[in-house]
Amino acid sequence: MTIFSVYIINKAGSLIYHYDAPNSGRPAVEKTFSYPLELVLKVFDEKVTVAFGERDGIKVGHAVLGINGIPAEGRFLRDKREILEVLASEKNYPINIKFGRPPLSINERIMLASMLHSLFAIGSQLSPEPHSSGIRTMETDTFKLHCHQTMTGVKFVVITDPKQGHVDAILKKMYEAYADFALKNPFYSLDMPIRAELFDNSLQSVIEQADKYGISNI
Amino acid sequence: MSIKIDHEQLLFHFQVNIATFALLFSEIVQYCQNRVHTVPELQNKLSELGQSVGSHMLDVIFLREKGYKREVKLLNMLIFIKSSFWKIVFGKEADKLEQANDDDRTYYIIEKEPLVNKFISVPKDKGSLNCAAFTAGILEAVLNGANFPAKVTVHWHKGTTFMIKFDESVIARDKMVDSR
Repeated sequence: MTIFSVYIINKAGSLIYHYDAPNSGRPAVEKTFSYPLELVLKVFDEKVTVAFGERDGIKVGHAVLGINGIPAEGRFLRDKREILEVLASEKNYPINIKFGRPPLSINERIMLASMLHSLFAIGSQLSPEPHSSGIRTMETDTFKLHCHQTMTGVKFVVITDPKQGHVDAILKKMYEAYADFALKNPFYSLDMPIRAELFDNSLQSVIEQADKYGISNI
Repeated sequence: MSIKIDHEQLLFHFQVNIATFALLFSEIVQYCQNRVHTVPELQNKLSELGQSVGSHMLDVIFLREKGYKREVKLLNMLIFIKSSFWKIVFGKEADKLEQANDDDRTYYIIEKEPLVNKFISVPKDKGSLNCAAFTAGILEAVLNGANFPAKVTVHWHKGTTFMIKFDESVIARDKMVDSR
């Protein structure tokens, strides 16, 4: 709940582990529309997204997740009809469309991780203070991103609620879990994606502990 | 004239950080894995390495714990292994020692979470590999060295179970000792 996701990036900039909290607040907005549709929709990145016409909680960038209860897969519905065609013909109205932020695919996550890696490098160069090591936190009004970079170049990135406290302790515990269950595992090769059950379990317990103690402390 | 050494202090001062041991053991497993092609072969190789450890430890521990007396009775030997030996090697006693219901040649030592497996997550493609085969090798060497010939294998049962199968001669000899 207060921790939204965890990303671990290796020293070359590729994603070796990611975790998303199950109910990390991606609410879907479902509304009934009548012809003509006031939103302007465009196909972007194989998904039908809102390009113009923000209203009622439906923001630019939200994708069509479903029509009349049938889930959407890319540009088509599950029953193989093309979404834009369905929305263009008047006989389908009134129509019930569900909008929301589309879930990230694994490729998108890998791209985000590499972008973060480059941003950290640029951040350490741009800093007015000499001997800067990189970006520590990034704050917006809906989330806060914390990063801990280890001496070997591995970055632990945690995205949390802006009010979450003691994230340094959380990051340290995750580093310990990595040192224990990934580095001492004979079946793990360095800089590869982490696939160890004990590591998943221990990360889960760190996150649960953080959630249990809530916003004020760990 | 004899030199009295404070055994308790000596034993408890020789402690190794678990992280150090875990990293060394992880290297041992990787070393073995590079030289074999199948999972049973890997377990065998780990067991062999454990046997050299066990044969070295046997004399030292017996000398320190039991003075100069040898164990001749089977049950006493097993109890000694489960409690003192395990405590010296791993820092705690083994969880359970059981005898098989139908077979008086087979005994089981059960441990929920063996120390050597503490940081190891076995991937799915390695099937039923249990790195506690190393510990099974230690046990086998200790029993064979103390003149209780046996075979020790490791299984995933109630955590980790070491199945000890003694030779017929051991059981027969034990019965004779008891009946005297």
